[in-house]
Amino acid sequence: MALPLPQGLVPTEVAFLCEMEMVTVVPRQRLESIPLLSGDTPVLRPPHRAQMPLWLALLLKKQRRANIVPPAWLHPASLADIIHHETNVDPQAFSPPPPPPTRADGRRRPSPATTHALPRPSCPRVRPMPPGGYLPYHWLELAEALLAHAADDVPATAEVRSLLRDLQEVRAAKMRGSTQSLEGGGGVVVLRGVGAMELAESRAFVLGVVDGVRKLGASAEATRRDEEANGGGGRYGGGAGGRGDFEDSDEEMEF
Amino acid sequence: MSYYDLDAILTDAEKVPCKFELDVPDLGYLDNNPSQGLKAQTPVSLPLWLAELLALSSRTQSSNPEDSAPFLTLEMPKALSNEVVSALKADPRAVALRDQTHNMYGLATRMLDLFEEPEMCAVLRRTFVTRAAETALHARKAGATDDVVRGEGFLSGLEEWERLLFRRAHDGNKACKEWMEGVKK
Amino acid sequence: MDIDDILREVDPSSSGLPSETRDLQSLTRVWVAERSTPELLSWPTDGLVERVNGRIASQIERVEALTGDMDPRSNFALIVIQTELERYKFLVRSYLRARLAKVDRHALHYLSTPELRARLSPTELAYATRHQALLHNHYLASFLGSFGPTLQNLNDTSGNITMIDHPDLENAVFIRLLRDARVVGKGRRRRWRRGRQDGRHHHSQVV
Repeated sequence: MALPLPQGLVPTEVAFLCEMEMVTVVPRQRLESIPLLSGDTPVLRPPHRAQMPLWLALLLKKQRRANIVPPAWLHPASLADIIHHETNVDPQAFSPPPPPPTRADGRRRPSPATTHALPRPSCPRVRPMPPGGYLPYHWLELAEALLAHAADDVPATAEVRSLLRDLQEVRAAKMRGSTQSLEGGGGVVVLRGVGAMELAESRAFVLGVVDGVRKLGASAEATRRDEEANGGGGRYGGGAGGRGDFEDSDEEMEF
Repeated sequence: MSYYDLDAILTDAEKVPCKFELDVPDLGYLDNNPSQGLKAQTPVSLPLWLAELLALSSRTQSSNPEDSAPFLTLEMPKALSNEVVSALKADPRAVALRDQTHNMYGLATRMLDLFEEPEMCAVLRRTFVTRAAETALHARKAGATDDVVRGEGFLSGLEEWERLLFRRAHDGNKACKEWMEGVKK
Repeated sequence: MDIDDILREVDPSSSGLPSETRDLQSLTRVWVAERSTPELLSWPTDGLVERVNGRIASQIERVEALTGDMDPRSNFALIVIQTELERYKFLVRSYLRARLAKVDRHALHYLSTPELRARLSPTELAYATRHQALLHNHYLASFLGSFGPTLQNLNDTSGNITMIDHPDLENAVFIRLLRDARVVGKGRRRRWRRGRQDGRHHHSQVV
């Protein structure tokens, strides 16, 4: 019963992960807390808003027990802003990901940034949805889920749908172009701001190109490594850890 | 390289041009001349695995590397000749790599192990990357019929690595499309 | 270092989270990592999977108890509980099966050294050993037996190439940075996974 899937999350798995993303709902009925494996659900008291994972929000929505508050970035004006950025301001790169939330004292906290990636199931004190103007990591799958199951909660759905298609097109072209940077070697493709579903769609292809380039440059790379190793001292020789310590060795690439 | 890798095994069997450095009795059939021995410097084609072995091993017992002479000298196969490399340099998309060999890049990586050819390496890398982007575009359009017709020439010229890339790009698009259609349920 | 410490370091805001929530997070993380890396990662030694399985078992009991209760108010709660239960079961199943796929694919490799064997759970180790033995007997009966004794090995490493197939550790992976940080590339990118497991590079995740 081994899993017959390729390496890397496939679209349905990405959608599953997305369902752990927290969304805001406005309850239409009272609902007591439910004890779940991942913690208790929030007590729902209309009209007080509550945060919960998308899968639960969709369940409540289907039963007409709650409305889902669409995230700010999904509003037509925000999407149009992002498209403008993607086509005119920076036609090469993806639009930047949401900035990590800052503390009241302005100091950057490492933790909330972490929360963008990690599911916070039924956890009440989570990050708010990213502000408008930025696409979150799960933008496409979240938008599709909301449009499919909570369309009446999303204002101007027709417009939003068409903006989303435009956004998908312009970003797909960037994805295809992203591997061009490998031409000179280096072996790193920078995809800052990419979405999880976009990654799932192109993962195998991009990794294939990276691996191909790596193999085509393998002999040159081996020569370089040999030279470094024989170079006396070299970067491997230095440092207390010596060769086994990868900490300060080899080239450094900025993302 | 993996022991059971079919592409690697097929690449191993690619014929490469080479010349023996010495007369070899009874090998005349390699030059379509079975009645005589093979004269030194006669151009012949041998599978890569054999040619590589004979080009890298020394025929004398001497421990002095100066007089270690190999059995034969290898040459670049036609698929990687100056002619092909120049054409790739001019326009990577215009060359049907598959007509050269099905394992173009596989063969190239093996030859680049044996020959120091930094320029060829750079040209091939650029070729691979440029053609990969083109391949992805075709994979995305594979559903629309008129585009496929237009792309047929390019697609039929894809060698093995590129075919794999096409399949990966196509499968990725397809899986994503299927998911999109399934969301509504 | 204790897993709680690691998690606290990874995400200070999680220190106040109930342990159930943290377990789901950890399980999701190991699942994503396992699905995204070419080679088998270490089995969580902190009892994560065992703990999760225990929780699932008691939740199933709760569902059974609630099913007898016909109060319509608990009806919706039951739907929610069951939905979550299915999601949780999916995660565990997918994680274990992703590992199984890797073990199946390179069984001889993972059995070849004590270091690699240590990555497997006791059940996985037993499975890999018995599966490999069955396979070998089957090969012997169907074709290996007709070869000369010197040609019967499946783990020959002579001739510059090993018969023991192994995952390509030079394979590229995607690394997700959760805040600005410098990425250090190295031929063998295992460094990254090691780093992440130590919790030191908490700003990155293999995806």
